Amino acid sequence: MKVLFYGRLAEAIGPELEVDASPGSSVAEVRDRLAAEHPDVEEVLRGKRALSFVGEMLVRDDYRLVAGDTLEFLPPVSGG
Amino acid sequence: MSVVARLEEDALRPEGELTALIERASGDGAVVSFVGVARPGSEADQTVYRLVLEHHPTLTLQSLEDIAVEAAARFDVSHVHVVHRCGEVVAGEPIVFAGAASLHRRAAFEAADYLMDRLKTEAVFWKREVGEGGSEWIEPTDTDYADRERWG
Repeated sequence: MKVLFYGRLAEAIGPELEVDASPGSSVAEVRDRLAAEHPDVEEVLRGKRALSFVGEMLVRDDYRLVAGDTLEFLPPVSGG
Repeated sequence: MSVVARLEEDALRPEGELTALIERASGDGAVVSFVGVARPGSEADQTVYRLVLEHHPTLTLQSLEDIAVEAAARFDVSHVHVVHRCGEVVAGEPIVFAGAASLHRRAAFEAADYLMDRLKTEAVFWKREVGEGGSEWIEPTDTDYADRERWG
């Protein structure tokens, strides 16, 4: 499963990671694994203003990933 | 009614954007514009050389368009115009232009205010200040989120 990161998450983890997650895994499960492997950004991954997308769709923690999905983790955004 | 929402990779020229907005607003009585500029100092009072605005290949422009369209729908304005920089912005250079035109001034003022409150907290960018203190990620402040909440 391809996972993409941005901002401070990309800085810490890299912009892209192949995660060995089976179809049917939830976004929360993938996040838990990433948080365990990257404790330095656990707070960012779990932050209430962090967003998860699949395709161009905002997904919740209980979204079940299917084969071919690309999951994207966005830390808090800020323009202006 | 027109809505402009653009992601600008090169220099943002506010005077050109304002001229374009005024030309579109030929039947209106009010044009309000805001220009956000990269500050030369950090919250910790250190010199900032530049801002780096990372963006998403699709969601960033989509967020600018959504915010501009929602401003146009919410206020009695005839034109909304948003241009946002991405990439490296040297301190002192413009980052964002947010403007609106309307028949009477109040709607244009409110639309510009609304645009900025939403852009600060919802435009899909990740900002990094680079300066004498090194590199630091900048996220919205509690005040920014509270300002956004004013609009419901």
